[in-house]
Amino acid sequence: MGSASKQTGPQSQQKAPKPGSKAANQAERRARIAELRAVEQRRERRNKILTISISSVLILAMAGGASWLALDAKHKQDKKDAAAKAEQQAKADAAKVPIDGVKTFDNLTRNHVTTPVTYPQTPPVGGDHNPIWLNCMGNVYDQPVKNENAVHSLEHGAVWVTYNGKATADDIKKLGDKVKVTPYTMMSPYPDEQGTITLSAWGTQLVVDKADDPRVEQFFTKYVQGPQTQEPGASCSSGTM
Amino acid sequence: MTGAQADLTAEQSEATDGRAPAGRSRRRLWWPAALAALVALGLGVPALVAGGSPASSTVAAAAAPATDSPEAGFARDMATHHQQAIDMSFIVRDRTQDAAVRTLAFDIINTQANQRGMLMGWLDQWGLTQSTPAKPMAWMGHTYDAHDGSLMPGMATNADLEKLRTLSGRDAEVYYLQLMINHHRGGVEMAQGYVDAAKNDVEKRLAQTMVNGQRAEIDLITGMLAERGAQPLS
Repeated sequence: MGSASKQTGPQSQQKAPKPGSKAANQAERRARIAELRAVEQRRERRNKILTISISSVLILAMAGGASWLALDAKHKQDKKDAAAKAEQQAKADAAKVPIDGVKTFDNLTRNHVTTPVTYPQTPPVGGDHNPIWLNCMGNVYDQPVKNENAVHSLEHGAVWVTYNGKATADDIKKLGDKVKVTPYTMMSPYPDEQGTITLSAWGTQLVVDKADDPRVEQFFTKYVQGPQTQEPGASCSSGTM
Repeated sequence: MTGAQADLTAEQSEATDGRAPAGRSRRRLWWPAALAALVALGLGVPALVAGGSPASSTVAAAAAPATDSPEAGFARDMATHHQQAIDMSFIVRDRTQDAAVRTLAFDIINTQANQRGMLMGWLDQWGLTQSTPAKPMAWMGHTYDAHDGSLMPGMATNADLEKLRTLSGRDAEVYYLQLMINHHRGGVEMAQGYVDAAKNDVEKRLAQTMVNGQRAEIDLITGMLAERGAQPLS
């Protein structure tokens, strides 16, 4: 509003009293005031238009900006919701939730040894082991296998299914069929084990009574090459049978 | 500005004789301040809002496919399919000294083992399991009757692999090449199935290179069989 202040100049100059009658002076003074008021009013109109125009542009810009922000935020929220939903679904499907009855064991050693190893768990879930792993590409063994080879397979991410004399022929067949179509699993009898059917992965074990226990499927899904795997990408082939 | 203000201004000008009036300087300051505030609001608020939300993590999470998607299914099944090609190639390298076959086997071992790592790594990135209760290739509507270790089209049976382990020299080369043609045919079919259904560009590109690479190798292997006086199995 620099223009407004500049216009006070002429007013000041013309303010100086002139010689003449008092009445003439007063009339002149009123006329000047009226003139100044008219000038002032024109300026006011111009300023009003300017104010309204600038305000309108700013308000429109802000409204537009706010709308864009709101839409963008909604878009991002939609994406986030979709991601959360997908993640939830993945978690539910992947059975990443804990499985009832699963026991875990920490601080297992991983040395290669060619001597027999005494394991604290039956069947073992980890510890020192033979340099050669037991083939675990869905191999179903009908005779007991060596602990030291099997433990090496667990290190590679395999799930080992074992059963004792209480397991029925039907259960053994069901489990065998499942193992045969599941790479990174193996199965063998284990007469000395306490549980009827035992599922073992590295540092992880579950005992069930029947093959159709839903936790069998959950254990396979979660632990076949699962997060307990000590050497992801290691082989289940070309070991020993 | 109101009319009353304008009147006041005129009167003041008369009365104060050119001195900078206090009311005037207040008015002069009012406008730039209001403008600055509006501009700051118009620019600053969006900047704050836009800068405040970490968009990158949101996008990455949104890209994670579901466990029953073609993305996850292809990653799991092709990893399994590849593993057998690797196994067969190791076997033949132990059964022959032929440089051409040993080089082909070496190439297949390296390529498919690396691709397995990519496929399994994606599953890890997506927070998905490597294993699934779903039937092999169910994600592409396939119902293959898994038998004796042959879990998917093109895969050899355990008996086939046992036979390969008993052969040596030219016989082992020929049988390996024959098994590998079938294996590649099944692999190309699955990879093409994923290319047709793909929603993930990076994974689609890998699948397309499998289609191209394995098709070319089928021609190569057919030629190698002919050099050994043999043909594909069927």
